[in-house]
Amino acid sequence: MEGNFQISETTNLLRKIKEFTRSIVEDLAEGKSPEIAINRFRNYCNDPEADCFCSSDEPKGREILTLRKRSQTYRIDMLLRVLLIVQQLLQENRHGSKRDIYYMHPSAFKAQSVVDRAIADICILFQCSRYNLNVVSVGNGLVMGWLKFREAGRKFDCLSSLSTAFPVPVPVEEVEDIVSLAEYILVVEKETVFQRLANDMFCKTNRCIVVTGRGYPDVSTRRFLRLLMEKLQLPVHCLVDCDPYGFEILATYRFGSMQMAYDIESLRAPEMKWLGAFPSDSEIYGVPQQCLLPLTEEDKKRTEAMLLRCYLKREMPQWRLELESMLKRGVKFEIEALSVHSLSFLSEVYIPSKIRSEGSFH
Amino acid sequence: MEISDPVPKLLLQLISSAFQRCRLAEDLCRLSLLLHQSAGNDPPITSISISDTGIGCSLVEFQDLRCPREFNGAKIWDGLLSVKTTCFSGDEVFCYHINLDEYISNKRIKRQPSQPKNGAKFSGTEVSLSVFGCIDALVAPIVTFFQKMLVLHLPNVTMDLVVEQGASPGTQTQYVFLMNGDQTPCFTASNLERLKSGLEDCVLRHGNCLEIMCEQCFSDREHLKVGSGTACPEENRKRPGGTMEVVIVISDLLETTRHCSRSCEGKTEVLYFDNFSPSPIPQVALSALKKIDWKSYGLILASANDQEGRVFLEWEHFPSYVQIQIALHWYHNKYPTTHKTEPGIDLVKKGIKSALNDLKTKHEGFLLSSHSRKICGYVPDLARSLAGLIFSSTDMDFQGDCLSVLGFQPQEAERDAVEDYIQRKIVSVIGMNESKPQKDQEAAPFLFFEGGSETSYFEDEEIEGEYYSTSLE
Repeated sequence: MEGNFQISETTNLLRKIKEFTRSIVEDLAEGKSPEIAINRFRNYCNDPEADCFCSSDEPKGREILTLRKRSQTYRIDMLLRVLLIVQQLLQENRHGSKRDIYYMHPSAFKAQSVVDRAIADICILFQCSRYNLNVVSVGNGLVMGWLKFREAGRKFDCLSSLSTAFPVPVPVEEVEDIVSLAEYILVVEKETVFQRLANDMFCKTNRCIVVTGRGYPDVSTRRFLRLLMEKLQLPVHCLVDCDPYGFEILATYRFGSMQMAYDIESLRAPEMKWLGAFPSDSEIYGVPQQCLLPLTEEDKKRTEAMLLRCYLKREMPQWRLELESMLKRGVKFEIEALSVHSLSFLSEVYIPSKIRSEGSFH
Repeated sequence: MEISDPVPKLLLQLISSAFQRCRLAEDLCRLSLLLHQSAGNDPPITSISISDTGIGCSLVEFQDLRCPREFNGAKIWDGLLSVKTTCFSGDEVFCYHINLDEYISNKRIKRQPSQPKNGAKFSGTEVSLSVFGCIDALVAPIVTFFQKMLVLHLPNVTMDLVVEQGASPGTQTQYVFLMNGDQTPCFTASNLERLKSGLEDCVLRHGNCLEIMCEQCFSDREHLKVGSGTACPEENRKRPGGTMEVVIVISDLLETTRHCSRSCEGKTEVLYFDNFSPSPIPQVALSALKKIDWKSYGLILASANDQEGRVFLEWEHFPSYVQIQIALHWYHNKYPTTHKTEPGIDLVKKGIKSALNDLKTKHEGFLLSSHSRKICGYVPDLARSLAGLIFSSTDMDFQGDCLSVLGFQPQEAERDAVEDYIQRKIVSVIGMNESKPQKDQEAAPFLFFEGGSETSYFEDEEIEGEYYSTSLE
């Protein structure tokens, strides 16, 4: 079924590409200036008091690309270049990464971000996700725990080795037959924490699935997490550093990123709870003073900017209070600072107690 | 002894009047100029005869002519013009002596005995005078004047100049000023049409210095891009109606042009005609030329120099193989007019812009502003991608459809030709966009919000080793 769906999606997309090409050709033949309307999406604005509709998945504006402005002409040029590659990928049923596309014309694209933007424009134009274009990303995430699944015929049996890290599958749409006996999903920001939990055989004593995006989560990790949530209906907890960067990662998992706001629905984890570390944890768990680092000016600016995001005020006021508290205290700390008392403090005390006390903010 | 300054000026005025008489005759006419320097006189004496077969002259033409007998203390002529004239229906040839040094009108013109025509039907005028000085200084300005008059391309007038020096059979040189035989405009062609073909010819023949097109610089007339424009002021009682006509010719020279000593050096001489006569450029026209927004046509004016009425425009960053020629013609709609006027600066600008816009319209992608030329930098790439989307499609129906829309036979279309065609179409659209008002260009890019930075949202999320995207605000 999955395969057939993908085939019809591909046919549909190829049809849209042809219609698009034909409309430009017709305009040119008639001596008309082509106009390409690209919807604009955003998942937040920076006015917490605004009566905005950022929570809606609908487009928040529209940009008309024409051949009148140099920047727009360049954008159309890049869009068409990438579209030509995408058409070939789809016709030949091959896949390529964004990086592959960049290296096909590095001098024309100049930067990876140009390709990313062209891909985003194409996705918005044809109302599809990136994977529909057969453009896949290199998987960066890891998973372990009480989980079994298949991806394109390959078996991923995490259950057979609960403390082994498995790569998050790419492409996620080919994941099927998910089986799990877990009670919750734990998302950790950093690979070091993930490895600590693996070493401590955390999953043997805790029936859970542990996922990490190894820092800022890529699309595959976020889509995989979303898939697990939908299929398994499990609570999801997130553990990040107590600093602005950790919070940013938490927000990206929870609300999605602005960059891919056009495809937010398949990339966000709306029910995710924040397990820690909270600013107050430094006192509760006795983090030594030398592990508390002062917030830099950049940290403060970033935090202040995040406090303005409308979704915090609207949906997660408790998170916002914690963020304000961090700013007020003027210090940050890494999650590993909690291990000062014992190496296994995270897996033996901190995480289980947080889960038990449901200390995470919904 | 050289002929003094006022004389060439007087002569050109007399030639111009003769030319007008021919022009108005609406029949084949000849304008002949004879310069004869007799031997043995000291100082040398040059006799000049200007004869034409145009309509007979009116003495009013001589009313405002002035030329002193002396210049800088030296005697330059006797001040007398001898005029013989008759109109087609007249029975006799009227003869006059006109003393240009005399300001009292009844003493200025003296009628001489007429000559009978004995029933012959013809019209024409002969004006003669004698000046002190040798002939050489006269020839160059007269030749240049005739060459410029050819630009007006009047089909009914032929002009020639005979220069005789010494007693018969002394040296005689004859100059004949003819239009290019292939391009003679018909009698019914408009003034503007004539000016167009005249300026084209002038360019091809290096300012009409050659009898035929310079083959080292041009391969054919098709290499010329020609634009023309007209502007007319509103007529009222105080201001009689007039017309400003402008023709601009831009030519791509052949590579072999470097072997041609006559090719220009990237300068543009602006030819100005006032009432069908070559004329020094008036100040308003010079100001108009300086005030044109040349940049919006992709041209950068470096300087506009007025060298005694001859105006030269110099361009910056202009390819050496391209030359631009401009001709402006201002004339009154009624002739002769007693009230001579100059065009206003806005009228001249309007005429020039109209000619530039005409060039743009006729030649896709030509004279684009620097902004549009930058946009055109993307055109080859855009065309390649579009052709790629068509030709790499596995859907043959789609391919055929697109090629038909572009006017190609699907079975015969070659990718390069299609790509070239798409390129031309895109360039034409960019040119068209330029001529549309700005209001249309910025049609509501954002319907709901102003958008913010265009690039900040698109940093790479997945570049290896990048812990955080810098765009995470």
